[in-house]
Amino acid sequence: MDAITSARQSGDPRTGRTRRDFLKTAAFTAGTAVATTLPAGPARAATPAELAEEHAGDPGMLIDLTRCIGCGLCVTACKLQNDLEWRRGQPALGPEAELASANWTVVTTIERSRGTGGAVRYVKQQCFHCLEPACASVCWVRALEKSTDGPVTYTADRCIGCRYCIMACPFDIPTFQWEEVLPLVSKCSLCFERLSRGEATACAAACPVGAIQFGTRGGLLETAWERIEGDPRYVRHVFGETEAGGTSVMYVSDVPFEELGFPTGIPQRPLPDYTWQITRTLPVAIVGLGAVLTALLHVRKRLAGEHAAGEGASAGVGSPGEPAADGGEGS
Amino acid sequence: MSARATAAVPMRRPWTFRMTWVRVVLLAVVGLFVGVTLYRFLFGLGASTNLSDRWPWGMWVWWDVLTGVALAGGGYSTALLVHFLGRERWRALERAALLTSLLGYLMVCTGLLIDLGRWYRAWHPVVFWTHWNPHSVMWELFWCVGGYTLVQIVEFLPILTERVHLPRLARVVRRIYAPVLVFGIILPFLHQSALGSLFVIARGAVDPLWWSMMLPLLFLLSSFFVGPAMETMENLASARVHGWRPPIRALTEMVRLAGWIMLAYLALRFGDLAWRGVLTNAFDGSVAGNLFLVEVGVGVVVPMVVFLTPRFRGSRALLVTASALTAVGVALNRANVVFTAMAASAGGASYVPHWMEIAVALGDIAVAVLVYLFIVENFAIVGSEEETVSEMPGARPIAVPRPRGAVTAPGS
Repeated sequence: MDAITSARQSGDPRTGRTRRDFLKTAAFTAGTAVATTLPAGPARAATPAELAEEHAGDPGMLIDLTRCIGCGLCVTACKLQNDLEWRRGQPALGPEAELASANWTVVTTIERSRGTGGAVRYVKQQCFHCLEPACASVCWVRALEKSTDGPVTYTADRCIGCRYCIMACPFDIPTFQWEEVLPLVSKCSLCFERLSRGEATACAAACPVGAIQFGTRGGLLETAWERIEGDPRYVRHVFGETEAGGTSVMYVSDVPFEELGFPTGIPQRPLPDYTWQITRTLPVAIVGLGAVLTALLHVRKRLAGEHAAGEGASAGVGSPGEPAADGGEGS
Repeated sequence: MSARATAAVPMRRPWTFRMTWVRVVLLAVVGLFVGVTLYRFLFGLGASTNLSDRWPWGMWVWWDVLTGVALAGGGYSTALLVHFLGRERWRALERAALLTSLLGYLMVCTGLLIDLGRWYRAWHPVVFWTHWNPHSVMWELFWCVGGYTLVQIVEFLPILTERVHLPRLARVVRRIYAPVLVFGIILPFLHQSALGSLFVIARGAVDPLWWSMMLPLLFLLSSFFVGPAMETMENLASARVHGWRPPIRALTEMVRLAGWIMLAYLALRFGDLAWRGVLTNAFDGSVAGNLFLVEVGVGVVVPMVVFLTPRFRGSRALLVTASALTAVGVALNRANVVFTAMAASAGGASYVPHWMEIAVALGDIAVAVLVYLFIVENFAIVGSEEETVSEMPGARPIAVPRPRGAVTAPGS
């Protein structure tokens, strides 16, 4: 508001100021308007502890990498549950296993050359179902959503195929049906339909060795730390407890997570907070910028009127010290 | 000024389009573009691109969207300076800047549509308001880029009604022109910065040399300073092709302003890097570090020195070179954000654009260039004889010398 009035005052020809003064003020007010689009101060950001409390009752899974034997029953259960095909060249089990549009979960074999006698570990991958998912926050058509029950769900008939979710996911989970003419995004749904019937996820139900435990997030976190405290061989880290603000699927392991290909350097803060810091300033920016610009246009119209009366003076508005040139002032 | 300017009688001149060998080549590229685009729509993105889950965004996002929007920044920066900040003399550049910008945005919209997996649903967000998610930067981009494209079409209508007799349309446009001008600044401010904000959420994935909370402001500033550079190249090239005398004084004044904005940009860029304690990454000899130095050194520092030194910017050759470097620098910056900064998090997967991706990117420009040439040769863009700018509020005739050789190729 100050910006507008100051622009009016100094720009108004009746105050007797020069056009150059007006230009300076105008540049300043425009600058102020730009500044309002800057991230201003700390956002409301919920801490991981607050999020953990809020989502303690959400369904989740705890995957114990010390227990997994790499049998792949979870992969099979997932494919049957979700009607996904086995594809040549896209293994869901073994050293080459990778998430793909028909592989919502995979178990990757990781052989460690050094360390505990060339130990082999099997790492199950699927959607982490973040408490504050980046994918859902960037999905501008609400195809991906964080359901109130916990799972991050996908409504296919809303998807436009922009792939921002794939870009934004810190865990590289969503995949695209590249082979399709009209592709969709696909990822683990935490067996949303089974959950609504009171059943566990298909992969957890299929696991013969108890490596995948299904339960509430709060309960699973307690279990995880009990195991870690009870056995010094565990790494003192529950992956997913605070990563990206916390996830519903979490891991414990006896091998450091970075050696198993888990992403490092994921912020503890929910990722949507970063964007929100910027996006939340937009209403102010729009209104502020609009007001300043309208004021400028108004002032310019008056100036133009005065100049038209005075005639011919218009071309004198050059940069400092330079004569008006450029041939033919038009009039 | 008034007698000639108020005579808004449309010209009766035959449409012209002179064929040269360059234009034949461009037309061939357009032909390829049409064919490849058809192929992409019939067989999908997997068949026509080298994109993957590790590289979900590639050539098209970089070139058609990020770079295209930035290089079209001359439209809004010139409009801001001329209509709101009283730089009357730069009005000579306004129409050409507006035209380039409009064509740039049409090119961006085309590129986006080709890139979308379910392109036929692109209209859904307009109608299905219950599915809106204003938290997404992409949502903001959709509305601002779409809205600004419409705004530019309206801004362009007075130029059309000079040539084509549509009095009712001209009246309507005159009435809504002022609010349209205001939106013509707000919307680009929002989406130029939003293109930077897109990458803010990938906090862990983007190399710290490029990730920053300042990304929106950096994208906005660079789209602003690349505007004058683009206009310089465009005006000088167009002047050479058509035998016109370019508005060189207005251009040098504009690039001087660009130089100062570049200085502010550099201060912000390096200040931010130092603040986050990653400035040394730039000098560690890594590929990313070196690309950063090339981007900032060759793409910003060198042209800035030329733009801010009167003797250098007085030389036509240096002026053009510096302008080209600025544009290349901005394109490289966007490439570094999409590719270089993402390479480490792509898990060793590589991405080389498919030839069809390149064909679409080139074809998109070829269409824009051909349409630009047609419009420049048939409408009053770069100060032709019958200027009737009176339809724009507060307008004065364009202060550009008349063309030396008139374009007199026979039309239909």
